[in-house]
Amino acid sequence: MIGATLSDLGLLVPELILVGMASMLVLAARRIQRAPVAVVGTVLAALAATLVAGWDLSGGARTGFGGMITLDGYSQFFKVLIGVTLALAALLSVRSVDRDQVPRAEYHVLLLLASTGMMLAVSALDLLVVYLGLELMTICSYILVGIRVERPTSNEAATKYFLLSSFASALLLYGISLTYGVTGTTDFSAIALALSEQDTGSNPLLLAAIGLVAAGLAFKVSAVPFHAWVPDAYQGASAPVAAFLAAGSKAAGLAVLGRVCVVAFGSEAHVLSVFLAGLAALSIVVGSFIALSQTDMKRLLAYSSITHVGYALLGLMAGTSEGVSATMTYAFFYVFMTIGTFGVIIALGERGEHLNGYQGLASQRPGTAMLMLIFLLSLTGIPPTAGFVAKFVVIMSAVREGFVVLAVLAVACSVVTAFIYMRVAVLMYMKEPQETAPSRFPVAVSAALAVAALVTVIGGISPGILAPWAVSP
Amino acid sequence: MTTYPVLTVTIFLPLVGAALILLFGGERLARWIALATTLGTLAVSAPLYLHFDKASSTLQFVESRDWIPSLNIAYALGVDGISLPFIFLATLLSILCVSASWTAVQTRVGEFYAALLVAETAMIGLFAASNLLLFFIFWELILVPLFLLIGVWGGPERVYAAVKFLIFTLAGSVLMLVGIIALYVTLGTLDFKAMAQAGESLQPVHQAWLFAAFLAAFAVKVPMFPVHTWLPNAHTEAPTAGSVILAGILLKMGAYGFLRVSIPVLPDAVELFLPAMLVISAVAIVYGAYVTLAQTDVKRLIAYSSVSHMGFVTLGIFTLNQSGVEGAILQMINHGIISAALFLCIGMIYERTHTREIKDYGGVAKTAPVYSTLLALFCLAAAGVPGLNSFVGEFLIIGGAFQTQVWLGAMAVWGVALGTAYLIWLYYRVVMGELNSGLEGLRLELNAREVATLAPLALLAVCLGLYPECVLSYLRAPVTELLAAGAIP
Repeated sequence: MIGATLSDLGLLVPELILVGMASMLVLAARRIQRAPVAVVGTVLAALAATLVAGWDLSGGARTGFGGMITLDGYSQFFKVLIGVTLALAALLSVRSVDRDQVPRAEYHVLLLLASTGMMLAVSALDLLVVYLGLELMTICSYILVGIRVERPTSNEAATKYFLLSSFASALLLYGISLTYGVTGTTDFSAIALALSEQDTGSNPLLLAAIGLVAAGLAFKVSAVPFHAWVPDAYQGASAPVAAFLAAGSKAAGLAVLGRVCVVAFGSEAHVLSVFLAGLAALSIVVGSFIALSQTDMKRLLAYSSITHVGYALLGLMAGTSEGVSATMTYAFFYVFMTIGTFGVIIALGERGEHLNGYQGLASQRPGTAMLMLIFLLSLTGIPPTAGFVAKFVVIMSAVREGFVVLAVLAVACSVVTAFIYMRVAVLMYMKEPQETAPSRFPVAVSAALAVAALVTVIGGISPGILAPWAVSP
Repeated sequence: MTTYPVLTVTIFLPLVGAALILLFGGERLARWIALATTLGTLAVSAPLYLHFDKASSTLQFVESRDWIPSLNIAYALGVDGISLPFIFLATLLSILCVSASWTAVQTRVGEFYAALLVAETAMIGLFAASNLLLFFIFWELILVPLFLLIGVWGGPERVYAAVKFLIFTLAGSVLMLVGIIALYVTLGTLDFKAMAQAGESLQPVHQAWLFAAFLAAFAVKVPMFPVHTWLPNAHTEAPTAGSVILAGILLKMGAYGFLRVSIPVLPDAVELFLPAMLVISAVAIVYGAYVTLAQTDVKRLIAYSSVSHMGFVTLGIFTLNQSGVEGAILQMINHGIISAALFLCIGMIYERTHTREIKDYGGVAKTAPVYSTLLALFCLAAAGVPGLNSFVGEFLIIGGAFQTQVWLGAMAVWGVALGTAYLIWLYYRVVMGELNSGLEGLRLELNAREVATLAPLALLAVCLGLYPECVLSYLRAPVTELLAAGAIP
């Protein structure tokens, strides 16, 4: 058995790289006085993990650890996405880590471990491993949110996040145990097999199990009505942490939700699709209308991220493999446009965190303003940006499955979100500057912005580019 | 024939120019790059006009490349006799916009010309697209530069106008997006020709919903009564170049959409909606004309006149007979020429007087004879005087309307009479009489650059008036095919 275990470790090389780097940073923590060491280490580890995760598998999907971990196209796709998110978040953290006097090594260790948890969750084939991965991610996230210990808002945010999130974890765990009670297993394919064998038509226990698991996961992706923690957490966290959470944890949550819906509970698609359709509709409507009245940029983006999760759920709701690949596409492009938008906020420093800070930006920093405009257009879903492609594919999967009313609701709300994002554009381009021009920002931030903008534009011009990889499990 | 993909080069050359301006844009350099780019675009599009076969109704200069293989959607371009005149109009008006903004725009010059060139790419691309997704992408792309043109370089109420413009048009076009997706899901293709062939298999109920979805987008763009309210704000507050693009091209996009999508693909729904469309068009003609009469702001007056004039266009399209549809397309071109020219005229004099109120003008002819002559020509053309271009278009539309319903023709004639009234009255108040005391000491006469800007439009107004066949000959074959395939009540 020991031989089998060793070869199984091959499935977890990306995670091992991240954990290895985290361990090294912990050991060296007292010696790392200068920020670049931790940042460079984290970025290198993230890129290495991304490369390994993206390495083409010639032998197809492999499973290991007694069928609990898999390395298939689906997990590869999300591992690459998470690896890139980690690298970009580390690059964006350069200045805020200095300014807020955050312990450098520890900050990066937490980023690395949170990413490890995400990667573990997306490659899990067992509800308990999913739980382990997501908890590793969430626990690191609490600390990241509250790491600016001298700020009361940061502490408040971390506390709220912790309390609500523990509740959600309990829901998830309860759902898992009920699932075990109904099917006698926590393994995805065994659950599917058990459900197909027994007549589950109206088993209330099963409905409760599915509902609780889905609710727990909906909390992780912050779909309405499980969204209450998001605005406070993002507002209290530093902008790079908010970017990391908005991008990475949502992508991981969507990935898990996708696999659970299609593989484990695939036979109960009719129940799930009603549940997910409700979550999607609520998220889109509530997120976009509440975002209308926000003036704090991080809070605004928090609500906008809720809206975007609603759109992404439109794909999962369909329960088909096309739907799941639509959600994969959505998650991929969403990550880059969100990180890009947060990147501009970070680049502008304190000024970037408030809506009015954008007044007259275009006449002071035309390049930065144009990048922001590109990200905002993408968030709105206006072609030719990646955000349009993302919106197009999820709405198409909704229409294909007959959810036309929901599709109309979704596009109608995109007009509301257009109003929100274009308000920033109006301030940038059509108002006179009130503050002095922002100082130059670090090369690392520029690099992250460039990557995000490149993906946002190329994804929009060449919509089919992701199709070969965005394949449902 | 030609050694390069004409349409692709024509579409994307302005985008290259915009990138150059943003990269190297000094103020002076930006103007010259923009002028060179727009002239170059006209030059590279020359083969379109030289090698076009008017007798054929099929798409020409077709380009097709894999674009989204997973959805089987191609990057497909092509022009027929309906789209070609619009591509010419778009390239020409872009040149004139660059020229007209030469001294009028003094702030953030580089960004201004970059936005203008992006708009040119979107305009040409829209008319060259031969598949609905590509059409939609260009349709939306044009919003962004125009939003910025209005909001950054516009008049005092520019921000309100820009946001209203964006939200109105976006609200319409998102419904079209659902329509496009629904069409794709049911028909499996978004190619215009293939959709037209497959469209008859659609259930009438589905057709009606799809028609409504597309109507939301097209009606806002045209704009049809009662969703025209964004137009007066946007046209009035936009800088001259923005007004020219709005009036010259943007308003034609909606009507073009009816011709490309609604009529060929959704024949049953067209039949269902026909009475409503005709009534709305007739109301737009008369209502628009009365509102125009009441305006006291020159630019707003011309803006409102567009509502009335575009009413003629939709009326002509929905007569669904050869005369009406040909007249409608010809009238779209005519309106593009004349309203662009009128906005240019207003912009030129506004640059000197900085007022748009009609009461601040009067007696302009005393000091600016050349300007007054050109303005007279364009006002007469807009009023539909025989020998100038609008006459032929309106004549064909009214002829088509009388064939459909007598009262429609009567409404149209009434609209023409009112049009003559507001234009002549405008001309009388601005140009005739004693020189307004506020204008004394101002050099109102046009300079050589401005005359050169207006000259091509004046020439076109006269040429199309005397020999409309030079546009109509392009339209005959495709319009015949359109009406043969679509619904004829």
